[in-house]
Amino acid sequence: MARRYDSRTTIFSPEGRLYQVEYAMEAISHAGTVIGVLSKDGIVLAAERQATSNLLEQSVDNEKIYEMNENVVAGVAGHAADANILINQSRIVAQRYLLKYDSPIPVEQLVRNLCDLKQGYTQHGGLRPFGVAFLCAGWDSALGFQLYQSDPAGNYSSWKATCIGENNNNAQSILKQEYKDDDKEESGPNVKSVGSQMTMDDALKLTCQVLSKTIDTAKLSSEKLEFATLTLKSGKPCIHVYTSSEIDEVLKTYESVIKPADNQ
Amino acid sequence: MNRFVEQLAANDVAELGMPGSLLAGPTAAMAGPTGHGLSFELAAGNNPAEFAQHFIDAKSEKDSLIKIAHGTTTLAFKFREGVMVATDSRATSGNVIASQTVKKVIEINPYLLGTMAGGAADCSFWERVLGMECRLHELRNKKRISVAAASKLLANLVYRYKGMGLSMGTMVAGWDEKGPGLYYVDSDGQRLANDIFSVGSGSTFAYGVLDSHYRYDMDIEEARDVARRAIYHATHRDAYSGGVVRMYLVQRDGWVPYPLEDVGDLYYQYHPEVQLTNRTESPLTVVPA
Amino acid sequence: MSIMQYNGSAIVAMAGKGCVAIAADKRLGQRALTVDTEFQKVFPITDRTYIGLPGLATDVKTLYDRFRMRVNLYKHNEERTIEPKTFSHLVSHMLYERRFGPYFVEPVVAGLDKNDEPYICGMDLIGCINFAKDFIVGGTASDNLYGMCESLWEPELGPEDLFETISQALLNAVDRDALSGWGAVVHIITPEGVITRDLKGRMD
Repeated sequence: MARRYDSRTTIFSPEGRLYQVEYAMEAISHAGTVIGVLSKDGIVLAAERQATSNLLEQSVDNEKIYEMNENVVAGVAGHAADANILINQSRIVAQRYLLKYDSPIPVEQLVRNLCDLKQGYTQHGGLRPFGVAFLCAGWDSALGFQLYQSDPAGNYSSWKATCIGENNNNAQSILKQEYKDDDKEESGPNVKSVGSQMTMDDALKLTCQVLSKTIDTAKLSSEKLEFATLTLKSGKPCIHVYTSSEIDEVLKTYESVIKPADNQ
Repeated sequence: MNRFVEQLAANDVAELGMPGSLLAGPTAAMAGPTGHGLSFELAAGNNPAEFAQHFIDAKSEKDSLIKIAHGTTTLAFKFREGVMVATDSRATSGNVIASQTVKKVIEINPYLLGTMAGGAADCSFWERVLGMECRLHELRNKKRISVAAASKLLANLVYRYKGMGLSMGTMVAGWDEKGPGLYYVDSDGQRLANDIFSVGSGSTFAYGVLDSHYRYDMDIEEARDVARRAIYHATHRDAYSGGVVRMYLVQRDGWVPYPLEDVGDLYYQYHPEVQLTNRTESPLTVVPA
Repeated sequence: MSIMQYNGSAIVAMAGKGCVAIAADKRLGQRALTVDTEFQKVFPITDRTYIGLPGLATDVKTLYDRFRMRVNLYKHNEERTIEPKTFSHLVSHMLYERRFGPYFVEPVVAGLDKNDEPYICGMDLIGCINFAKDFIVGGTASDNLYGMCESLWEPELGPEDLFETISQALLNAVDRDALSGWGAVVHIITPEGVITRDLKGRMD
């Protein structure tokens, strides 16, 4: 049955499904994991690099984590070539906003713009949807730190901690269990929920813990990982993409949470 | 034109012993009340004034042979103690500052002052002629000329050349039998009497200060302060005014000048909080460390 | 009066020994009227490249915003900061794009390249690059600045001597120009960082 409808992105099946979009999402669930954790003073992004080879030239470029703007950093799961197009587009959109309004683009606006583009490819004929999902970590003066997830259909949602890519169900459940939240605390109608009790250290620790349980490897190492943080430095957003030695250092610091995973 | 032809008949060039002109045209004579002999040669043609306009840079915009300094702030006001006269000292040619030490107050005689705005040459020439006329008046009438009469003489002198490109906006200040006198005379032939005047490109700024701080019953120090501030503020806002504040007070015994005050120093006297500072500035595009 | 003289400006860049300096006055006028005495005409492009934009103030602001956009995209795409020479060619290209309806500015670029070598250059309003080893001037006081720089500049000046030289050149040049002055700012770019100083000047 599916065959009659899945050759085109823009046609619903009788069950009301868009098969090409679903296949794109399926592709992503086999891609390298990307985790994002929001803390009260920043955001941690971590990504798994798949299929490394010792013959592969280790370029200085990151494959999975990209700076989109001075206030937004994104992790990518899925088709890298598709991601390049979207990242390029987003960077230009962000810079156009800066040119027009002389202030950095609000995070949600940038994400929405990216998702509008993705959505367009699920509707207009003859084109394949973008086979990528993003985790966008950003900060703006209106809403502070924000973490967004997007899928090939063009949906996006805001999270305190989330994961895309391989084993994301597994990772989601660990995050749900371990994430320290202040939602249960008393909060009046006018009290803005900070959303997190986590510090940056907690967030890094949780990220390492989840990585160790989702990535299918004997030992976590900088070769297969990318890390980035978004924090505030004297009131301005500061994106830091970790070098491989810095990643090794993080892994060493949180050895304790990584090791039990090996024992399980 | 008829006037010039008449004057030509009255004052022949050869008769006055003037050298023959390359511009073999009519001559306009400057005839004072007594008609003694200053004369200006005019270009040949039906409209010498129009001919002259091509060489006179009335708006300081074109490269002309005759340049006119337009930027100026001058002011004068009557008050309880006499008349205070103050000017800046800048001369510009285009946007180049030609001088910061120009004398824009013309000492016509020990009891009369004229100020200079517009064409520097026009002002200094005609106010010197005015000095001559005033002295002749004294000799003829055995008493000093009134400020009213002196300013009227000047207005009449320049009115003869109306439309020929003269440019002057001057204030005649002095002391006579009636007390302090202050008149405004310009090259259009306009002559006005009032307690406060300001002339030049910076005059609007000076008026702003004068209108808000002037009182007739000021003492001398207050009057100096108002005049100084008015000139200072004009030099601050007007690009074509600057240099030093030059100030004169006219009283019963004639005028006295005050020491010059550099506006470059005045700014920092009026704004003692402004200090030389070191700043460190980081570029907007910071590369993550 | 030309549109280049409408707002008034004076900008000068000088090369020293392992350092460069760029300085500008702070006046914003409308012909004879002085409107602002804290107007920014020199902008940081990277940690060690600055651009001065003498000319029409509205174009100064617009151009700086466009340069910032292009340099940010360059940084993202190339994953490195732009060199002063590369940036100058970007500026030149952007100006020539408006060959038949130009921005009314004559940019002055000063910076240190990746080998800490000084780089200064100037441009006309449609992007013709004028590379110099000594100094570059621009604005309504540029004739005066040429005179000051020709007599004061000497090769191999260290940061402090360069600061003194460029400050004297600028302050004395604007004191003979009716349309610029009203205070000044000097940036000395060295491999260790940028020193920025405000100068007191005549306010008339």
